[in-house]
Amino acid sequence: MTTATVDRVEGVPRQRRARPSTGRSFPLAGWLFISPAMLLFLLFILGPFVAAMALSLYSYDLLTPAEFVGLKNFRALASDDLLIKALGNTFVFAFASVVTHLIGGLLLAVAVNRGLNKVLSYFIRTAVFFPFLISWAAVALLWKYVLDPSFGILSYYLGLIGIEAPGWFTDPNWALPSIIGIDFWHTIGYTFLIMLAGLQTVPNEMTEAARVDGANRAQIFFFVTLPLMTPTMFFASVITFIGAFQIFDPVQIITGGGPNDATITAVMYLYQTGFQAFQIGYASAIALVVFAVIMIVTIVQFWGSRKWVHNA
Amino acid sequence: MSTEVVSSKRRLDAGARRRPPFRVGRLVISVVLFVVGVLMLAPLVWLISTSLTDPVEAFRLPPSWLPVPFSLQNFRDVVDLIPLGQMALNSLIVTVISVLGSLFTASLAAYAFSRLPFPGRDSIFVVLLTALMVPTQLTIIPIFILMRNLGLIDHLTALWLPALINVFAIFFLRQYFNSIPRDLDEAARIDGAGHLRILFQIMIPLAGPALSALAILGFESSWNNYFGPLIFLTSPEKMTLPIGLVSLSAGQGGGPAVVVFAGITLVVLPMLVVFLAFQRAFVESVASVGIRG
Repeated sequence: MTTATVDRVEGVPRQRRARPSTGRSFPLAGWLFISPAMLLFLLFILGPFVAAMALSLYSYDLLTPAEFVGLKNFRALASDDLLIKALGNTFVFAFASVVTHLIGGLLLAVAVNRGLNKVLSYFIRTAVFFPFLISWAAVALLWKYVLDPSFGILSYYLGLIGIEAPGWFTDPNWALPSIIGIDFWHTIGYTFLIMLAGLQTVPNEMTEAARVDGANRAQIFFFVTLPLMTPTMFFASVITFIGAFQIFDPVQIITGGGPNDATITAVMYLYQTGFQAFQIGYASAIALVVFAVIMIVTIVQFWGSRKWVHNA
Repeated sequence: MSTEVVSSKRRLDAGARRRPPFRVGRLVISVVLFVVGVLMLAPLVWLISTSLTDPVEAFRLPPSWLPVPFSLQNFRDVVDLIPLGQMALNSLIVTVISVLGSLFTASLAAYAFSRLPFPGRDSIFVVLLTALMVPTQLTIIPIFILMRNLGLIDHLTALWLPALINVFAIFFLRQYFNSIPRDLDEAARIDGAGHLRILFQIMIPLAGPALSALAILGFESSWNNYFGPLIFLTSPEKMTLPIGLVSLSAGQGGGPAVVVFAGITLVVLPMLVVFLAFQRAFVESVASVGIRG
């Protein structure tokens, strides 16, 4: 665990200046050492980033020469109903993902942290975390069958207890919630581990002191543990949102965006316009919108964190 | 959860022990957690058992949780339908080059940002860090055009070449290098060691936990990558496992559900073995990288 390493960022340059013994160094060494990374950075991150911004001002189909169209792509975006639908779906998915992962991950971590039987603790950690390591491709295909209306196990067992299962992927009202559920199964283990690591940072002395003062278990949780967990929850909410807003694999594999565009997501729409319809300029404009949304939401999260995150 | 019984009981023996046993509360939590664990694993158990069942008998209802009658026919069908071994090899090539290559370039850069003074160092570092905000989807279109111009479409190179830069690894390793006492490398320098030697013989061995955490996370994302191969690869013998698996279930040339199940099993089982063997390292990598905030 390397939690302590982070604090030292600011201190380092000062420390360096205090020591004159770097005499043998010359700037060329530094540049040489960063040159492979910088070259790749320019070629595959910064360059493409600038190129994407430029491309968004063009109309380009890979075959005929690109034509400069100014802001036409962005004007078209504003009235593109499918994009609005895709952004709406993606927001619903990302919001549901953040809420379910935070609550589920925290509850699981708190429960596991209660000093359970060792075997049970090992079992639950393994069972909850392992799905995270399976590729989305395998997870999506598996769940397509788990939720199959004719031979899927979920529909069958729901039927046994008298619940008639909906057409998970064919009913427009159920398709997106189904994807949300599958995503929960797939990635809850990651949030769970982060929460578990966060719980280790809550000092025992604090909960112990509260206990001595007569606080009951619920009071300790809500007034001691939870406030001290807010930095971890904040971090988890930021990365869960960023990841969820780029959701693509399961919808592409399971529903293809259907039924009736009920599960089309922003990145999926980007994929369809860019790599199936080859509207490169328009797809670049969509990519910029996705980027902007992620940036804005992240900034808002950081800004809002002052209100609820301990020591933010 | 379980508060009333539990809290009154605790007050009775508070002070007697550090952690009084709340039998009822703990039992309820244990049972709930056990059920959660079973539910999480149920789809996987069903998957493996079905894929080992004779294709004629598979998928009957009520679901069978044991592979009866047992058969390996489905796995033979998978290998007949798609070049699974070749796909696994492709995945391995891309993953190994991506992970080792990106850790190599990141170590060099992190060493420079941590130890070597050069003009513009801090501003270059800040520019690099902004790249953490740029999602793949934004850069993928220009990279696709670039690969197309280089004639690398349907080549594994198109997958691993852009993966050689990992900005997060540079950042994470720099933080780790900064926590290693400077006295160590300065002593080595006095003894006449060059920067490369200091990096590879002092810093990298000491940064083992950071490197293994980054390697595991890199392995996870590269091995499971679906978006990249979907865009860059077209022919079956070039495909990596995730996309090959999906091709197995696709309309034409695809297999029936039970064969797809066998394919999924063949992808999931090795990962399960790797995970159980290195479970501690997996868990710690997520925890250490996750709690950087």
